[in-house]
Amino acid sequence: MVKTEIINGPIDFFPSEDHRSQDGSQLVFNGRVRAMEDGENITALDYEHYEGMAEKELYQLSKETAQKFPIHDLFCRHRIGKVKVGETSLHVVVWSKHRKEGLEAISWFISELKKRVPIWKWAILEDGQRIPSKCDH
Amino acid sequence: MIKVKVKCFSQVRYALGTDELSLELEVGTTTVELEKLIREKSNGNLEGLNLRVAVNQKYIPEERVLAHDDEVAFIPPVQGG
Repeated sequence: MVKTEIINGPIDFFPSEDHRSQDGSQLVFNGRVRAMEDGENITALDYEHYEGMAEKELYQLSKETAQKFPIHDLFCRHRIGKVKVGETSLHVVVWSKHRKEGLEAISWFISELKKRVPIWKWAILEDGQRIPSKCDH
Repeated sequence: MIKVKVKCFSQVRYALGTDELSLELEVGTTTVELEKLIREKSNGNLEGLNLRVAVNQKYIPEERVLAHDDEVAFIPPVQGG
């Protein structure tokens, strides 16, 4: 099963789900906003997305990941709008029997997300200036 | 003539100064021809920028003839995460 959401506001993390008995691995990735962008201090990143297409691409990518790797579930929430330094912009959870397939799946999923899902970010500097983000890691 | 909507994001919006364009085009206009037009409208501000094409919210890997009411986006490198 996959669940994906693009949210304009703080992300609620997916719960731990202690009742799961077939999954030996739960991987959680939180992408967070760093204080430095291209050598400059920033206060936030401002994410924009192509409404409609970004949701479809994220869902499609999640389904592809669940088909490509032997995992059980993939859940993803991506935030848009202004995300302050220290806050989470991307939350991904992958459930699988063993860690190996989960690690491969989450790594591939995030790499593809950064190539395919139409989301962009702008850095907000300390003086309020808004500049294109150069970070693509 | 056909009418198409061009959605503009990130550097494309910045270069063109708008979120969206409504254009009337000759019947038979292709995505490649429209991209050329958009680049001309940007006065060189999109030079060197690789743009992927989406029609009706799907990536289109090859040149396509546009249809009336198509929604087109020229997508600059994405930066999610």
